[in-house]
Amino acid sequence: MAQTGKAGKMSERTIKNLHQRLNQLEDVLASAAAMKLNVRLEVTEDDELASTEEAINVLLEDFSALLEERKRAEAELQERLQTIQRQQEAINELSTPVIKVWEGLLVLPIIGTLDSQRTQRMMESLLQQIVATGSKMAILDITGVPVVDTMVANHLIKTITAAGLMGAECILSGISPNIAQTIVHLGIDLTGIKTKSTMMEAMRYAIRANGQKIVNVARADQPRPQEAPADE
Amino acid sequence: MIVPDHEQVLDRLPLKAEIDIVYIRQLVRQRGKEHGMGLIDQTRITTAASEVLRNMYVYAKGGETTISLVSVKGRSGLLVTCRDQGPGIRDIQLALQDGYSTVNSLGSGLPGARRLVDCLELESEVGRGTTVQLLKYLP
Amino acid sequence: MNDRPAASRIPIIKIGTHLIVPIQVDMTDQMVNDLQINVLAAIERTGARGVLIDISVLEMVDSFIGRMLSGIARMASVMDAAVVIVGMQPAVAITLVELGLEMKGIDYALNIEDGMVLLDQRLQESEA
Repeated sequence: MAQTGKAGKMSERTIKNLHQRLNQLEDVLASAAAMKLNVRLEVTEDDELASTEEAINVLLEDFSALLEERKRAEAELQERLQTIQRQQEAINELSTPVIKVWEGLLVLPIIGTLDSQRTQRMMESLLQQIVATGSKMAILDITGVPVVDTMVANHLIKTITAAGLMGAECILSGISPNIAQTIVHLGIDLTGIKTKSTMMEAMRYAIRANGQKIVNVARADQPRPQEAPADE
Repeated sequence: MIVPDHEQVLDRLPLKAEIDIVYIRQLVRQRGKEHGMGLIDQTRITTAASEVLRNMYVYAKGGETTISLVSVKGRSGLLVTCRDQGPGIRDIQLALQDGYSTVNSLGSGLPGARRLVDCLELESEVGRGTTVQLLKYLP
Repeated sequence: MNDRPAASRIPIIKIGTHLIVPIQVDMTDQMVNDLQINVLAAIERTGARGVLIDISVLEMVDSFIGRMLSGIARMASVMDAAVVIVGMQPAVAITLVELGLEMKGIDYALNIEDGMVLLDQRLQESEA
């Protein structure tokens, strides 16, 4: 190891060298403790302390790599969280579309479970669209709503009543026999609210109520239908 | 009664004339708007405040309203407090009871107001006065 | 009533057999009471068969205003006039439902045009 002058005693130079190296060690370890891992020890000697110094360098290398890996993983996680958030917002928007099918008629196909927040959003959206489009009628289709409980029913009733105060009539469609049963069992009162079992029925009603009707128009490539002889 | 963790008084207004009801409820809406409340929530707190302010004017002939920004159980909200030294409410339960109607004119409007806010608290002593608190959480 | 400044009076406009009442200010309780009295007086004076109340500018309808509107409807029907409220804002509609306020005997329409059509309809129905 160190060069000894007299037997057992280390030379001054060696001691100074050791001091230096120990100081360096302290500095590097302090740096590491402060998470500054890009420091390394300068290994110039070839003695027992040197192998420790090399070992510490390897340790610092490993820690550095681990830290980088952790930062990378964290960043990836953040990005994924943001994607989920964006997707959630997109789902929210998609899940309460208000569609203007033609002048004066809006359709709101409700799909999925209705919680308080979603129903509130849906209600606001529908009412705003009623004003924006000047629509006197709206079809709320609940074919895609799996469960109708008292809370959901109350929210729907609130929405429909509010629309009524604004001068728009809402038709509730897509009521399956199951849901009809649930509504009766829960004692939910839907008097005053127009209900239809299917969207098609609701559309038919809306068209009639608007004083309109759908007629079949002869196609250009087909002969005109024979006129029935006039009754005498 | 609502005891906020933290309260910052925004306005302190006396209610003396009938027109103050309009002025104060407009200010309630404005404060709600300033602190990020959506339009519908603004309308809810304004309407609830109108009910309470009218009670204060009609039954106590006036009082004081405080509009504060508060923190309650970690959530921030708008607190409207109406304090009067009027005759007090004899039967608080009855005044808050639903069906003690809003249409047939005998109602205090309180049950309806309670449905519009996140929290409505009332304290009253006959002959001493009444304090009503309306809390609406901010987004 | 007549010595109140003009700005605080809500206008009542006669169009044919109907009256249009555009409420464009945040009303004090006194204005609300005056309006009820004035509308009923106008129905009597003009023999109007329909009253259209335009609240498209109103940002709030509380129980007091609601009671006034119900009152107008009740008394108007006694005088054989129909009442339609037009232009209720979404926030007001939602709040009214949550308030639990039920205003009977009133029709509702999206706007003045639809409201007038409705009043004409009610008029035809009553003369049938």
